[in-house]
Amino acid sequence: MKTNDVILQTTTKLVFFIIFLFSIHIFFAGHYTPGGGFVGGLLTTGAIVLLLLAFDLKTVQKALPFNFTIVTGIGLLLALGTAAGSIFFNVPFFTHAFDDFTLPLFGTTSLHTAMIFDAGVYLVVVGAAVTMIQTIGGDA
Amino acid sequence: MAFQLLLNFFIALVWMFMSTSFTASTFIIGFLIGLLLIIMTRRFFSDRLYIWRLWATLKLALLFFKELTLSNISVLQVVLRPKMNIQPMIFALPTDLEHDWEITLLSSLITLTPGTIVLNVSDDQKTLYIHAIDVDDVDDAIDSIKNSFEKAIKEVSRP
Repeated sequence: MKTNDVILQTTTKLVFFIIFLFSIHIFFAGHYTPGGGFVGGLLTTGAIVLLLLAFDLKTVQKALPFNFTIVTGIGLLLALGTAAGSIFFNVPFFTHAFDDFTLPLFGTTSLHTAMIFDAGVYLVVVGAAVTMIQTIGGDA
Repeated sequence: MAFQLLLNFFIALVWMFMSTSFTASTFIIGFLIGLLLIIMTRRFFSDRLYIWRLWATLKLALLFFKELTLSNISVLQVVLRPKMNIQPMIFALPTDLEHDWEITLLSSLITLTPGTIVLNVSDDQKTLYIHAIDVDDVDDAIDSIKNSFEKAIKEVSRP
C-alpha cells in the first residue's frame, strides 16, 4: 500500500536542517551554557530518526552513507586519544589544556581540549543510537 | 529567481571588494546598486524580476494573517453559539498546484486557519480532502480556498 506522504516529506526536508543546526549549536554551547556532546548527539539522532520516519530505511542509508558502527569507533578513538595525549606532556591521564586563540570571524576564542573529548562523546552517541534504531528497524 | 538573487549578492560582494570596505553598509549599498543593474537588464532574464516574487510572498503572508483572524472569529462564534446547528463535512478540493512544496504550503495554510483541516492528499496529488467545521455550501468553500490561498501560492510560484 502506497500512501501519499507529500506533506510529511516536504516538511521533513526543511525541518531536518533546522534540527541538525540546533544540535550543532547545542554541541558548541556545552562549555558555558547548558548543552554538550550528549544532548547534541541525541538531537542529531533525532533529526536522523525524523528522516527515517518520513522516508524509508534504504533511502536514508543512501542519503547518509555512513557506517554508524565505524562512527562509534571513531568517537571512542577521539575520546581515548584526548585522554591519552596528556601522557606525552608528562601530566596525569585526562589532563586538559586550553588557550586563547584569535581566529578569523570568531575573534578571540578559547579553545579547550575538552571539546575534542566532547566530539568523541557526540560521535559515540550518534553512532550507537542510529545503529540501534537501524538494526531494530531493518531486516538484517 | 534564485539566479537573480545570487547575481545580486555577487554584485554586492564585488562592490565590497572594489571599495575594500567589508562592512554591512557597503554590502547594502552594493546590493542596491546590483538591484538597479538587474532592473535595467531585466529583459535578459527569462524569469520575472525577483522582487515581484518577494512581494507575492509578502502578500501571501498578509493574506494568511487576515484569514487567520477572520476564521478565528468565526470559530469563536460557532463555539459560543448556544445551539449546535453546525454543518460539518468532508469535501474534496481539486487543486492544480504541481510542486510538492506548493501542496505542502496550501495544506499547511488550510490546516492553520481554524475551522478547516486537511485530512489527506490523494496519491496523484490532484485532490485534497478537507474537513470543515461549518459549511453551508461546498462549492462556496472550495471557491473561497481556491480564490484566496491557491491563487496567492500560484502568484508566488509563477516563474
